[in-house]
Amino acid sequence: MNTKCDETMLALWLEDELQGEEFITAEEFFGKNPEMISAREETRRWRAMMSVAIPASVEPPHSEFFNSRITRTVRESASEAMPVTPRRFSWMTLLFPLAACAGMAFTFILGLKTSNNRLDLAEIDVSGAPKAIPVDPILYTPDDGVKAVWFTSLDASATVIVLDGVNAIPDSMDFSATASKPLPRDIDATAGIEPEEISDL
Amino acid sequence: MNKPSDDPSKSLRKPVGPVDLDDVTADPDDDLRLVALAQQGDLGCYDVLVTRHRGKIFAMIRNMIHQEADAWDLSQEVFIKAWNALPRFEARARFSTWLYRIAHNVVYDWTRKRKIESAGEFNDEIFEREQIDSGSFTTPSGGESPDETMASGELREKIEAALGKLSAEHREVVVLKDVQGLSYKEIAVVMGCSIGTVMSRLFYARQKLQTMLKHEYEM
Repeated sequence: MNTKCDETMLALWLEDELQGEEFITAEEFFGKNPEMISAREETRRWRAMMSVAIPASVEPPHSEFFNSRITRTVRESASEAMPVTPRRFSWMTLLFPLAACAGMAFTFILGLKTSNNRLDLAEIDVSGAPKAIPVDPILYTPDDGVKAVWFTSLDASATVIVLDGVNAIPDSMDFSATASKPLPRDIDATAGIEPEEISDL
Repeated sequence: MNKPSDDPSKSLRKPVGPVDLDDVTADPDDDLRLVALAQQGDLGCYDVLVTRHRGKIFAMIRNMIHQEADAWDLSQEVFIKAWNALPRFEARARFSTWLYRIAHNVVYDWTRKRKIESAGEFNDEIFEREQIDSGSFTTPSGGESPDETMASGELREKIEAALGKLSAEHREVVVLKDVQGLSYKEIAVVMGCSIGTVMSRLFYARQKLQTMLKHEYEM
């Protein structure tokens, strides 16, 4: 215990850091000096002003996030620090590239085999498949004495229908008379009619 | 997964009683109990310790670097480093003092990287002793109540501005002593220097602050 009243003791006395016997000793030595007492009062006033002016504790913004981020970082660093077991060398590891090469070769050969089979598709028996059956068309004639005969030629891409028994068409026949004419409809007939007066019923 | 449980033999203090995890008041004894549990890998107890001390650590760093976003990140770094170093905590000092020590290292590493002291900062070498009023007291004498001045927040801004002009060492010693309320011995532990060095730095730091804030107190 330092009982000697030196500069260190004075500084501690001015800052009110002494306790017990040290304080008693310093108080007896410095406490009788008005200048020292005044200096201690100034020190106390200064500390009081500083402690009031500047807060000793300020909660950091987003304090909950502050804590959670620390926790997360600690956990992440702990998981990263997990010991990783080094992989032992094995002669079996040398087989891995060989197995990979064999697999690639097998796949290549299989591909070739598959493409050859495609070339032989023409030889596949398709006798069981349904075939298109040519059917003669059925011709109808509106008149009983008329006979219709149908001819077709694939080479000429032509189809001819011969009507036997049809009377010859006279030259005087007016084909315009057979043309279609629009019939007057009821709605058209009402277009020019004056609207009737609405009766007070 | 929990690193602090790597060497439980270094946990000097074992929990001797129940700890209320909802109680975030920083009782040093409770701190040590929580630290002992955290050293065994209890992340929940460490979370309580973070809640108890985050305000002081954040305030200390913010007063040191005057940048809130960076202070937030550096505070995070402090608590993550503290967790990793928890097996080496031997309870020879308070847990809070140990945290301040880590914060001191984190801030100085940061300032070293950013070279923040080289541009625009107050240089103690330039600040000659002649500029300090030889008749001034170590501590400023306030003519009005600090509480009254604080009502407008102006005093705080003035002090923070003046702190920003101090060197890192002087700023830190003022923050730790006059704001955080640490003792000379604790500051010496935090800053890694002798008590005499702390006293000397504090003396000159207060003198400089008084000179810079002279007009404020003479009004």
